Amino acid sequence: MKMDILSVKDLEKHFGGVKAVDGCSISIEAGTVMGLIGPNGAGKTTMFNLISGFERGIGEIVFKGIRTDNLSPFKIARCGMVRTFQIPRALTKMTVSENLMLAPKTQLGERIWDVWLRPKRVREQEMQIREKSRDILEFFEISHLEDEYAGALSGGQKKLLEMARAMMIDPSMMLLDEPFAGVNPTLARKISRYICELHEDGMTFLVIEHDIPAITKISDRIVVMNEGKVMAEGEPAEIKRRRDVLEVYIGGEG
Amino acid sequence: MIEYVDMLLPYITTILLISSIYAIFSLGLNLEWGFTGLINFGHVAFLAIGAYTTVMFNMSGFSLFVSVIAGIVLSGFFGLLLGIPTLRLREDYLAIVTIGFSEVLRFILLNEQWLTRGPFGIHGFDRPLQDVIPYQYYNTFLLILYLMILVIVYFALERLIRSPWGRVLKSIREDEEVSSALGKNVFWYRLQSLMIGSAIAGLAGAMLAFYISYIDPNTFKPIETFHAWIIIILGGTASNKGTIVGALVFCTFLSVTQFTSRFLPFTAHQMGAFRMIVIGLLLIILMMHKPEGIFGKKEELALSD
Repeated sequence: MKMDILSVKDLEKHFGGVKAVDGCSISIEAGTVMGLIGPNGAGKTTMFNLISGFERGIGEIVFKGIRTDNLSPFKIARCGMVRTFQIPRALTKMTVSENLMLAPKTQLGERIWDVWLRPKRVREQEMQIREKSRDILEFFEISHLEDEYAGALSGGQKKLLEMARAMMIDPSMMLLDEPFAGVNPTLARKISRYICELHEDGMTFLVIEHDIPAITKISDRIVVMNEGKVMAEGEPAEIKRRRDVLEVYIGGEG
Repeated sequence: MIEYVDMLLPYITTILLISSIYAIFSLGLNLEWGFTGLINFGHVAFLAIGAYTTVMFNMSGFSLFVSVIAGIVLSGFFGLLLGIPTLRLREDYLAIVTIGFSEVLRFILLNEQWLTRGPFGIHGFDRPLQDVIPYQYYNTFLLILYLMILVIVYFALERLIRSPWGRVLKSIREDEEVSSALGKNVFWYRLQSLMIGSAIAGLAGAMLAFYISYIDPNTFKPIETFHAWIIIILGGTASNKGTIVGALVFCTFLSVTQFTSRFLPFTAHQMGAFRMIVIGLLLIILMMHKPEGIFGKKEELALSD
């Protein structure tokens, strides 16, 4: 059996009286794609925020053998977990290339004294980072946008930019929050192709998505959340057959 | 004709001297606000700490060089002290704390007479090379020195903001959550920015003290902070070049309008207020037509989203 890269145990998060996440446990095997689905308000995004450290909750989160539930977001990112946001958050006043070059960790030029006293080394490293950013832009087929301000990009291009930027930190796991939302069918197909290719290279994904056909196509396993709880977990084919899951999505109240 | 030139040269020297001090003072704030998005409404406090520390160190027998370094370091240190409790919070908290700090500091300087001589101010401290340079050339010498310092500060800052370090600052200015999602320690970078900005203000404080050769607490009123804000907005937020030009335009304006009082039926006090009204109007007009300032980039406008 393969190792779990991420395991979440009895996670809870309350906002006042509302239990956004209410005792969730999931584990993700390294190198797999896990889909996270559920109706609006099921607690999926809160789950994401807890895992990536943007919210604090109760419970245990272990990522690559490290307890991360009490770490700040930037430390979790340095462990190799990177997330995207539901509404793409490109740094609009920076160019596409700057957006990407920002991301790599342990850059020499991020320390003041090295900037002033070792400019040559800093420049060399910048060249390497630029090369890498060009490779990644090429992978996502947005090389032509390199020098554009990110603010000038379309919504779909911003999604690609966010994924490309995330790739710059050499993550071992990516959390994608609705990568297909508001994206035209052609681009959606492209995004799912990118995810599959990265998956083949060994990347682990946790993906929130409402587009059931798209997510079942790319996922190895799917977790269904409802009202803060995990209501089902299994392989896509299994999940698709479950009546209770369908009911939650197509108006279970009636 | 020659008489006019004789009058004009010292006058221009004075304007340039004041401009260079304001330019360095504002470059510090530009690093904090323009590049990092920190709202510091008490920048003048660090000018005061720099000036007083330099002067008091020198009066207790330290060499000028050591005194200036002490002024710079202590200003940076106070930036650190103010930053630690406030920079983890939303940016408005820094604004509130700094504006309070600058006024508290001014009242301490006014009232702790054993330390600062209070409202009587301090004079009689050394000025750089005062024994070597003949008195009539002293301001010219000071101007050359200050322009050299300005050039050094400018290039040191330019190198910083064009480096990966500067890139992280800009990302924090735009969206700190994205920065931290990418593994950047937002709090630490903000702290560094505030410390360096404050240290630069401290340097400006020492320069101010040498130029006017007398300091008292009322040299460091809150209005000085807002002069720096005007300079930055005028020149173009997040542009160091713009900040320097802004300082020159602002100081020239302040000083040229002093002559207009002859043609206007105002008292000196009314004239001061009138000048601020004109500056306000000019800023409004500038913001309507060129909101990014003289040298700012429209794509990087810090105020809009």
